[in-house]
Amino acid sequence: MWREIVPGLESVAVQFDPGQITPDKASVLLREQLQQPLAAAVPQIEPITVPVCYDKIFAPDQEWIAEKLGMSPATLIAWHNNLSFTVTMLGFMPGFAYLRCQEEIAKIGRLPKPRQKLEAGSIGIIGNQSCIYSFSSPGGWPIIGRTPVSMFRPENTRPALLSANQVVSFRSIDIAEFEKIAEEQYSRELDE
Amino acid sequence: MSLGVIKPGLQTTLQGSPFSGHRHLGMPAAGAADCLSLALANHLVGEAAGAIAIEITLDDAKFVAEKHSAMALTGAASFFRINGEDQPLHKRTDIKPGDEIHIGPADQGCRSYLAVAGKIDAQPLLGGQSTYLGAGLGGFHGRAVKAGDKIQWAGNSEPDSTDTKTPIELRPNLSGKYIIRVTAGPEISALTLYSQSKLFEEKFQAGRRTNRMGLNLHGIVLEMENDDEMQSAPVFPGTIQCPPDGEPFLLGPDAQTTGGYPRIAQVIRADRHLIGQLRPGSEIQFVKISSLRAAEIYRQKLSLLTPWLGAVSLW
Repeated sequence: MWREIVPGLESVAVQFDPGQITPDKASVLLREQLQQPLAAAVPQIEPITVPVCYDKIFAPDQEWIAEKLGMSPATLIAWHNNLSFTVTMLGFMPGFAYLRCQEEIAKIGRLPKPRQKLEAGSIGIIGNQSCIYSFSSPGGWPIIGRTPVSMFRPENTRPALLSANQVVSFRSIDIAEFEKIAEEQYSRELDE
Repeated sequence: MSLGVIKPGLQTTLQGSPFSGHRHLGMPAAGAADCLSLALANHLVGEAAGAIAIEITLDDAKFVAEKHSAMALTGAASFFRINGEDQPLHKRTDIKPGDEIHIGPADQGCRSYLAVAGKIDAQPLLGGQSTYLGAGLGGFHGRAVKAGDKIQWAGNSEPDSTDTKTPIELRPNLSGKYIIRVTAGPEISALTLYSQSKLFEEKFQAGRRTNRMGLNLHGIVLEMENDDEMQSAPVFPGTIQCPPDGEPFLLGPDAQTTGGYPRIAQVIRADRHLIGQLRPGSEIQFVKISSLRAAEIYRQKLSLLTPWLGAVSLW
């Protein structure tokens, strides 16, 4: 019935074809569905650990963020690895994840001027929110690292790596491991 | 069969039906910006309404045919020339190897659709094949075509369809002025009452930043009731949002799936194909109607199109 079911942070939208069903009937149907218990509808999703390389070449904003939070860059990495995030929603681009953690964190604002181009996998942070850029794109989040893992693979049954509500933590990797994962992924793509 | 690109114009992409059912993963609709012109072009060459065709934007474009084929052009182009000779738009045209196909720049409107008899090769993903430029997915290697590219298709140079010319009454009338019907958006009350009335009474101009993601609307600065921050919420092609500076923008087919500015109106499905023809400077009058009326208008429009196009839906 629904062509799209799209969650926002505090809302949900459904799209229907008015050639198939009238807005009145759609509205009644939606209200009925909202009455049904949610437990069955929300699949259990395994927590995931995303490898991140925090090397400076991938982390243009790490230094000033560490300073703002009163840490050394090394402590920042350990601190970020210890945080537990939850995916609040996917949006902006295919597979782009908005994450939030419970920790109280000093406010880190968006960049005053968005960057023209961020690489896929870039990890952004503003206060207790983080994000993972799924594709190379312009972007205004300060960046503290990069993951080599693809966030969106359209050929997969589940194209987006992450799902809303999933628990996400980060694991620090070095450049060698970053390259190894990136390469393995690339050769898998060539195989497919 | 193939079509060599000589001059790609401003932005030429392969577009057909939009992607559907993946917005919750952040995947936009993409697809033809003017689905009606796409359907009309495809029909003339015997293809399904949402089959992949070539979407050409504003500027002129040139191709060279490498095989016998049948083609049809609809939309905004000021002319359609084969080897320098004018051909009508909205009419099936036979093409032979070596023919140079020249699509004129848009005088009015913005986009044209060149359909071919056959299935154009395009990268399949998520049940679709349209180009989504933002992530470099689908279509022709996920990008706009460049000079020297060859667009390939599995041919069928003699379409079965006997409908070779779009009836005059079904051809969209492109002008610089558009009346676009909308329903009120969920956050319409973020605008002052005075601004709400101005939104539906005065005319806007499409701004200079006009692309497949959307366009900004000039002419009237709207006032917000308050500057409460809004939590990101779902948006769709045809959603009009208003940021704190009061200059609203209208989302197009490649629009992202969620947005953080008040959604003040939504273009009705029956009129959404017009968005694909808006260009910088186009004059737009938004007319507010109820969602029930919007659905009625949509069904009326389909009943006008079905005798010619068969069962069809617009997006």
